Amino acid sequence: MDSTPATTAGVLPFRFHGNATEYFRIWIVNVMLTVLTLGIYSAWAKVRNKRYFYNNTELDGSGFDYHADPQAILKGRLIAVAVFTAYSVTSSAVPAAQPAFLLAFLFALPWVVIRTMAFNTRNSSFRNIRFNFRAGYRDAARVYILFVLLIPLTLGLAYPYFEYRHRDFMIRNSEFGTSEFDFDARAGQFFSIYARAFGLLVLAVLAAGIVLPGLVTTAHAAASAAGGKVPTPPSPANILPALLMLGMYMMAGIYLRTATSNLVLNHAAANGHRFISTLQTRSMLWIYLTNLAAIVASLGLLIPWAKIRLMRYRMDNLKLQPQGGLDNFIAGEQTRVMAAGEELAGIFDIDLGL
Amino acid sequence: MQPRAVPARSAEFEARYYDGRNSAQLAVRLIIDSNGQLTVQAPDFRTEYLLRETRISGRLGNSPRMIDFPDGSRCEVADNDRLDAILELQSANRGGWLHHMESRTAHVLLAVALTLGAGAAAVRYGIPWLAEQAAYALPPAVDQRLGQGTLQIMDRTLLEPSHLDQATRSRLRARFAGMTARLGKADRYRLEFRDGGRLGANAFALPSGTVVMTDQLVQASEQDEELVAVLAHELGHLERRHAVRMALQNSAVALLVALVTGDVVSTSTLIAALPTVLVNSSYSRRFENEADDFAHDFLVTSGIPTRHFAAILERISGDREDSTFGHYLSSHPGTRERIARFR
Repeated sequence: MDSTPATTAGVLPFRFHGNATEYFRIWIVNVMLTVLTLGIYSAWAKVRNKRYFYNNTELDGSGFDYHADPQAILKGRLIAVAVFTAYSVTSSAVPAAQPAFLLAFLFALPWVVIRTMAFNTRNSSFRNIRFNFRAGYRDAARVYILFVLLIPLTLGLAYPYFEYRHRDFMIRNSEFGTSEFDFDARAGQFFSIYARAFGLLVLAVLAAGIVLPGLVTTAHAAASAAGGKVPTPPSPANILPALLMLGMYMMAGIYLRTATSNLVLNHAAANGHRFISTLQTRSMLWIYLTNLAAIVASLGLLIPWAKIRLMRYRMDNLKLQPQGGLDNFIAGEQTRVMAAGEELAGIFDIDLGL
Repeated sequence: MQPRAVPARSAEFEARYYDGRNSAQLAVRLIIDSNGQLTVQAPDFRTEYLLRETRISGRLGNSPRMIDFPDGSRCEVADNDRLDAILELQSANRGGWLHHMESRTAHVLLAVALTLGAGAAAVRYGIPWLAEQAAYALPPAVDQRLGQGTLQIMDRTLLEPSHLDQATRSRLRARFAGMTARLGKADRYRLEFRDGGRLGANAFALPSGTVVMTDQLVQASEQDEELVAVLAHELGHLERRHAVRMALQNSAVALLVALVTGDVVSTSTLIAALPTVLVNSSYSRRFENEADDFAHDFLVTSGIPTRHFAAILERISGDREDSTFGHYLSSHPGTRERIARFR
């Protein structure tokens, strides 16, 4: 074997070596142990899952690694569950406390984002060099309080701008060893992605409206809200346009994801090394739809296959344009982070979407 | 111990070495000898460790193994099988039981069966049972909050003011008051009348404690006992806390699905919704049966013949096709069975 892999010439592909059969075995044992331990094992399962994906992702002859301590994750989950329970109990017993809680959440959000990113990055490594995340509460608050509040004030029009600031914040504050990541996308590029997705949605509504103008979804919604009764199964005439709309809606959503992924990766860099992401909306849509069908038809047993397939497609379309070799990143100082932030974000369904 | 030739106890591996200070990758030979000594060797580099002071990552499928050395450097080795063999001989293989399970097909099949079985049992028995316990532990105020505003929304979208005359209303209200008094909940439950519009002959219980009966249902009845029977069924929904239980069960199913599917990325919301909808209809069928049980007992103990329930069910199930939305019975499966039971 060559002692120096081709680091200097041309682009370096990311390669994913995971395979569905192998991962299925790991996944099902994880699920079983999680069930048998009433969920406690899920922290270990999470680490094992992540390790499988990290270890099997290769760049320039080296695999990535995930180092999180399952006990830290378990502790984080317990804290998250405790906070959530306190919130549910208090807000149903003392409804007046709910605004106070929401306010507290709003101010905790920047902290949660920082902790989550710090936990994930510091537990990830490549070539024995850890990633890192360093950001101050004030900077985070500007993005996750100020710009978040801007969204309802502008009736959602500011959302692409928030998305831009969010990605910018996450990437610029990330480090690999002592090298900081750069991000040079512009807000306008996010706006044009959202404009196109919105156009798709308008088309979806128009298409469904032409096929069946009198779609009485409101009646159904109101009736199902009442007394917990389920309305009659909708007739095929109702289902077709609904499916069409769902399909278009999914397409808009997947376009949004795909285009944002490409945009973000193609404008991120570290030490002059740049990423090249070439995901296609059409392929992503196909993968998502067939994954969905397979998962439903197999009662979830094909989830591992679906995950592997998606990861392989993503990695097949990710490359690194190196500037010189990958050898000159210097390790930074290591600090430990509690997992509470990440698990809080998880339980309140805050998607950090990286 | 007899000194013997022990070639199998030592082995050489190709590996990548990372010193932990910078990201340089060094192709090395990793030599594990029979004394538990581990040597990392490259043309102009050599360092030695004891096998027992290293930390070797547990096997995970066929992904490369990471060997961490006490000085913070590490090696990445791809040849899993040979590494496992030598670690086995040197009794240095830790945490291998997971991989052991994962690589035995019988164990994997057992895991599939156990998981599917546990999932089915949780959905069929576990969640409903937990939801029931939780619902009875919650104060009635929770139900009321759930049902808040529902009637106003329905008044705006589906229902019209009732055209029944005062006499009929007071007569039925008096019957209803008698029923709720028997339950000791006279102040908790109210009876309202509405023109059902598209809902047709229908009655439903709102979590707030309001039972709504449509004019069409009253007109379809031949005697008040039939309406009492329907009201008993609706009171069953309220007394058994079906609204809260349904809400709890649905969120529990969604949570369970989310737990298992983990991060199957954005499809997760759709995937989580689908089984929830399917399970939901099975749950609502069970609630209908429970409300029927309640009505049956109530009628029997009140000395009202249960055939009245069968009679009105039969009558309104006859003309259910002609409505776009569906009737009282649409969410009540197995109408014929139910009718037979009350005959």
